[in-house]
Amino acid sequence: MIKYTIKRLLQSLVTVLVVATIVFLLMRMLPTDSYFSEDQLLKLTEEQKQDQLEAAGLLDPIGEQLARFYGQIFRGDFGESRRIQTGVPVLKVIGSKFTISMRLGCTSLVIALILGVLMGIGQTLHKDRLFDHIGTGFTVFVNAVPSLVSYSLVLVFGSKILGLPSLYSTRYEMKSSILPIACLALASIASYALWTRRYMVDELNKDYIRLAKIKGMSSKNIMVKHVFKNAFVPLVQYIPANFLLTIGGSLLVERFFSVPGMGPLLTDAISRYDVNLVQTLAIIYAGLGVLGVFLGDILMMLIDPRIRLTGKGETR
Amino acid sequence: MKKNNDDLFRFVEYSAENAERTGYSNYSYWRCVFQNFLKKKTAVCMACIFFALVIFSFIAMAIGKYDFAALRSDPALAFVAPNSEFWFGTDNLGRDYWCQVWYATQTSIKLALIVALGECAVGITIGCVWGYVRSLDRVITEIYNIIYSIPTILYMTLIALLVGQSFTVMAVSLIAFGWLRMARNVRNLVLMYRDREYNLASRCLGTPVWRVLVKNIFPYLISIIILRLALSIPQTIALESTLSYLGLGLDVNTPSLGILLRNARYYFLDEPYLLIFPAVIVSLITITFYLVGNAFSDAADPRNHV
Repeated sequence: MIKYTIKRLLQSLVTVLVVATIVFLLMRMLPTDSYFSEDQLLKLTEEQKQDQLEAAGLLDPIGEQLARFYGQIFRGDFGESRRIQTGVPVLKVIGSKFTISMRLGCTSLVIALILGVLMGIGQTLHKDRLFDHIGTGFTVFVNAVPSLVSYSLVLVFGSKILGLPSLYSTRYEMKSSILPIACLALASIASYALWTRRYMVDELNKDYIRLAKIKGMSSKNIMVKHVFKNAFVPLVQYIPANFLLTIGGSLLVERFFSVPGMGPLLTDAISRYDVNLVQTLAIIYAGLGVLGVFLGDILMMLIDPRIRLTGKGETR
Repeated sequence: MKKNNDDLFRFVEYSAENAERTGYSNYSYWRCVFQNFLKKKTAVCMACIFFALVIFSFIAMAIGKYDFAALRSDPALAFVAPNSEFWFGTDNLGRDYWCQVWYATQTSIKLALIVALGECAVGITIGCVWGYVRSLDRVITEIYNIIYSIPTILYMTLIALLVGQSFTVMAVSLIAFGWLRMARNVRNLVLMYRDREYNLASRCLGTPVWRVLVKNIFPYLISIIILRLALSIPQTIALESTLSYLGLGLDVNTPSLGILLRNARYYFLDEPYLLIFPAVIVSLITITFYLVGNAFSDAADPRNHV
C-alpha cells in the first residue's frame, strides 16, 4: 500500500514535469514582440527591447532556459508576472484569485452533492413514475444542452423573476454569488443524480438484493444498508478531483458573471503572453488533476475493502 | 385404437424447405437494431424533428427577406422586436436576426458533424493500434495522459493566437484534441477481445491482422462507437459555443450559435427574443443527438436483442 502510494506519487510528479516542459516549450514558440504591451512597443527602441528580453533571460538558448526553469521550480520560485500585474510574484497573483474561485466552487459542490445524490435516490425509489421522468428530463437537458444556454436561462430566471444581480460584485458578495453558484451546481447536480440513479438501479437488480428481500428484510433497510452503500463507491472516486478542481475555477461561469477568479486568469495570461503565470497555472492544473485522480483511487480503496489497486497496474 | 396410433406416428415426407427452417433462425443483426431503435418513441420523434429542422433551415434561408451576406448594420433599427418585416427581430446592430439564427444553426451542425466524423476516424485508428500492438501500449498511454492533463483551453488559446480563427482551424483543432476519448474506449474494448480464443484461432490459421481487427473485433465496437459519435455532437456544439463566447472560437463574422449568444449576452435580459430563438434551436439539436445516441447504442447492444 505504502509502496504503491509512493510509486503513484512519483509517476504523477513525472507527468506534471513533462506537462510543465511542454507548456514551457509551447510558450517559447510565441513571437518575442508579444512580451510587451502596445504602449511599450511604441516607445521602446529595438535595442531597449533586446536589453529587456536579455535581462529577463528570454534570449538564452532553450536548453539553458529550461535548466534554469527546472531549478526555479524545485526551489519553489515561480517568477514574477510580466503583464497581468507587472512585477508581482506569480504566486501572489494567483493567491488573491483562487480563494474566490474556491469559495464559489466548494459551496456549489456541497449543494450539488446533497441535492444530486438525494435526487438520484428519489428517482430510484420512484422508478418509472412521475418524479423519475422529471428527473431524467432534467439530467438529459442539463447534459445535452450547451452550458452557455443553460447559464443564460438561469441568468434570465434569476435576475428577471428573483431580482438577483446579474454580475458578480464585491459590494454585495453574498447576493451576487447566488447565480454563479447556481450555475456551477447545475451541471454537478445532474451528473450526481444520473450516476446515483444508474448505480443504484444496477445494484437493485443483483441477486443478493433479491435474497435480502426473500429473507424478509425491510425495503428501507435494503436501500440504506445494501444498495446505497454499494452504489456510492463508484461515485466517491470523483469527489476529491471535483473538490480540487474548484480551485481552478470555472472559466465560463466566471467570465459570464465577471467573477474575478482563477478561471479567466489562464486565458488572460496566455493572450497577454505572461509566460511565468501560464507555466505556473499549467503546473497547478496538471498537478491538481493528477492528485485528484490519485486521491479518488485511495478513497475508493478505503471505503470498499474489496478493491485492490496494488495488484493491477490499470486504475482508471 | 391401432389405427389412431398409426395416424400419430406417420412418416412425413422429406421437405427441403422445412428442413431448412429448423436450422435457420430469422435473425439479422441490423434489422434487430432498427426494430429496437424504432421502439424508442422519444428518440425517433426527436430525430424526425431534427431532420425537419435541418431541411427547414435551408428553406428559411431561402424565404427570408434578408440575405446573410448582404447584412448591413443600421443603428436606427437596433432591437426591433419580431414583426412581419424582421421575423426574429433585429440584433444590437440592427441586423436581421432570422437569417443570422439559421445561418448559425447550419454552421454549428456542419462543424459538429465534421468534428464527430473526424474524431471517429482518428480515434478508431489510434484506438485499434493502441489496443492491438502491445509494444506501443505504454507509449500511447503516456502520450494520452500528458495531452489529457493539459487543459484544453490552453491549447485552444494558443491555437487561436498562433494560427488564427477560422472554420477549418476550429474543426482541425477540435478533432486534434477530441479523439482521446474515442481512442480510449476503442482501446479498452480491443484489449478485451484481442486474445479471445476465436481470435487466437484466427491468427493461427494465418488471418492477416487487419482482417482480425475489421471482421472479428470491429462488430463489438459498433455500439460504443455510435454512442460516442452521437454524444460528440452535443459536446462539440457546447465546446464551440463556449470557445466562441470566450473569443477563442470562430471569428465574429461567421455567426455560430456561440457567437450569437455572446453578442446577445448584455442585451437578452431586456430583449429576451435574442436568447430564446438560438437557445430553443440549439437545445433541440443537442437533446436529439443525446437521446438518439443513447437509444441507438442500447439497440446496437446484442444483449438487448431477443
